[in-house]
Amino acid sequence: MSSAPAGSVLLETTGVTKRFGGLTAVRDVHLALQEGEVLGLIGPNGAGKTTLFNLLSGQLHPDSGRIRMLGREIQHLPPHRTCRLGLARTFQVPRPFLALTVFESVLVGAQFGRRVAGTAPRRTARECLSLTHLGSRRDAPVHSLNLAERKRLDLARALATRPRVMLVDEVAAGLNPSEVRETVGILREVHASGVGVIYVEHVMEAVMDISDRIQVLDQGATIAVGTPEEVTRDPAVVEAYLGRAARTDQDGPAP
Amino acid sequence: MELSPQRKRLLLGAGAVVAVAAAGPLLIANPYASRLAQLLFLNILLASAWNLVGGFAGQISFGNSSLFGVGAYATSMLWLAGIHPFLTMPVAALLAAIYGVAWGWPCLRLRGPYFAIATIGVAEATRIVANHVEAAGGASGLTLPLEQDLGPVLLYGLGGVLAFAAVLVSAAVRKSRLGLGLIALREDAKAAAASGVDVSRQQVTVFALAAALTGLGGAYYALFTLYVVPEKVFGFDLSISLVLMVLVGGIGTVIGPVLGAAIYLFLEQFVLASLADIHLAAFGALLIFIVLLEPRGVAPRLAQLVRLIRRRTG
Repeated sequence: MSSAPAGSVLLETTGVTKRFGGLTAVRDVHLALQEGEVLGLIGPNGAGKTTLFNLLSGQLHPDSGRIRMLGREIQHLPPHRTCRLGLARTFQVPRPFLALTVFESVLVGAQFGRRVAGTAPRRTARECLSLTHLGSRRDAPVHSLNLAERKRLDLARALATRPRVMLVDEVAAGLNPSEVRETVGILREVHASGVGVIYVEHVMEAVMDISDRIQVLDQGATIAVGTPEEVTRDPAVVEAYLGRAARTDQDGPAP
Repeated sequence: MELSPQRKRLLLGAGAVVAVAAAGPLLIANPYASRLAQLLFLNILLASAWNLVGGFAGQISFGNSSLFGVGAYATSMLWLAGIHPFLTMPVAALLAAIYGVAWGWPCLRLRGPYFAIATIGVAEATRIVANHVEAAGGASGLTLPLEQDLGPVLLYGLGGVLAFAAVLVSAAVRKSRLGLGLIALREDAKAAAASGVDVSRQQVTVFALAAALTGLGGAYYALFTLYVVPEKVFGFDLSISLVLMVLVGGIGTVIGPVLGAAIYLFLEQFVLASLADIHLAAFGALLIFIVLLEPRGVAPRLAQLVRLIRRRTG
């Protein structure tokens, strides 16, 4: 995949920090998502990836630092406001509206999300369902969907808000290899439609495959940023994932 | 001939109007039957209003008596001041909506049992204050001018219109953008907010609507009983009865509150009245049975029955 065009910055954080009591979950994180880019966000469990998503989407507010969306400061806004500015998200564990049908769920996003002139909510909902391969399930009650379908429904509902930026949280986790390929294919289409994507994922083949750049977090702080090739070779990244001994092994037998 | 769901609903509504109008002359002739009809209309109005918040938004209120009482007192005091009862009703609705927003806006930030507990506190505080407002008759309440009674025909018609309007509002909300947002936030408030739903605003909007309808109920009650007293119109019994009606009928549905209102009235008049002093305990037992055995109420069962009959005959 070609590198990101030198477009404008969609979403940017400067020095974002979030503490929970004595624990600093996110520490002085700088991040920038360019237009037309997929930014992968990886790191071991507890690195602060989901907390960072909660900060970006307004579920949490940072103790210090700024978050800008298209030049506008949003770190103080609640989630429904960031959504209406064009920042959509999915959840690590899907959060379906169990009493609704598949179509109605997606209609929620289409009716309450970002307003775009000349679009009709019902048509937007239909388009998002077909993009996420849920068109045949549109009248099914949400509680009848399996995990893979619920993950795609989360994507469809987020897409229906007509985002400029999508925060995708572990959409491939728990899926079998063919479902992972299907999901990555959907993310490619989302990206191709002009939406910037920040993608948190533990399934490496998915995130390495689709990301233009990868940012690696460990214990709340950025430890590496670069292309997928660069970060996988970065000693600090290898150490964060595998521990010190692994790096020594890679360099040759221990002295 | 197969009818579309919209046509069916329209037909059902029209049928209900015709039935209510046709039954009118029979019921009005008998004072007891006339009172039962008034109570049924009132129950349908109040239960439908309660269900807007409790059923669609999933916020269980034990405090609707505070809104009912405001409506009842508003109409009573204005009527005593010489204003025609019909003109007092919009004022009653407006004041109840204002009071509803005043306490609903902060309380609706709470969810689940925390909201429920807060509503009990507000309603009880309101009742106690009302008992001490001497300008409104204090604990002995207000007696309305019997000689200006609207009469059974007007009261029947007014009740029918109010009940029907409440069901229409309920159906309209269910199908609207507001209703979709409410069900979404009931199912998962976090996911709803992430999808652009302004959770607080949606809840306060529907609560204001429910409060206005409940206030109208209080006004109607004042018009047909001609006597308002804090222990009754601000009473906890009233709030509990609304929860019961909706749970019996089917929470979160349009028809459930209507069925529940009728079933409740029947139980209250013909079964529980004979139990006198222990009727509250009987209500409590009933509530426990419903929640354990049939948490979705009779509405879904009725739908099943209709499908079954259709399969047998068709």
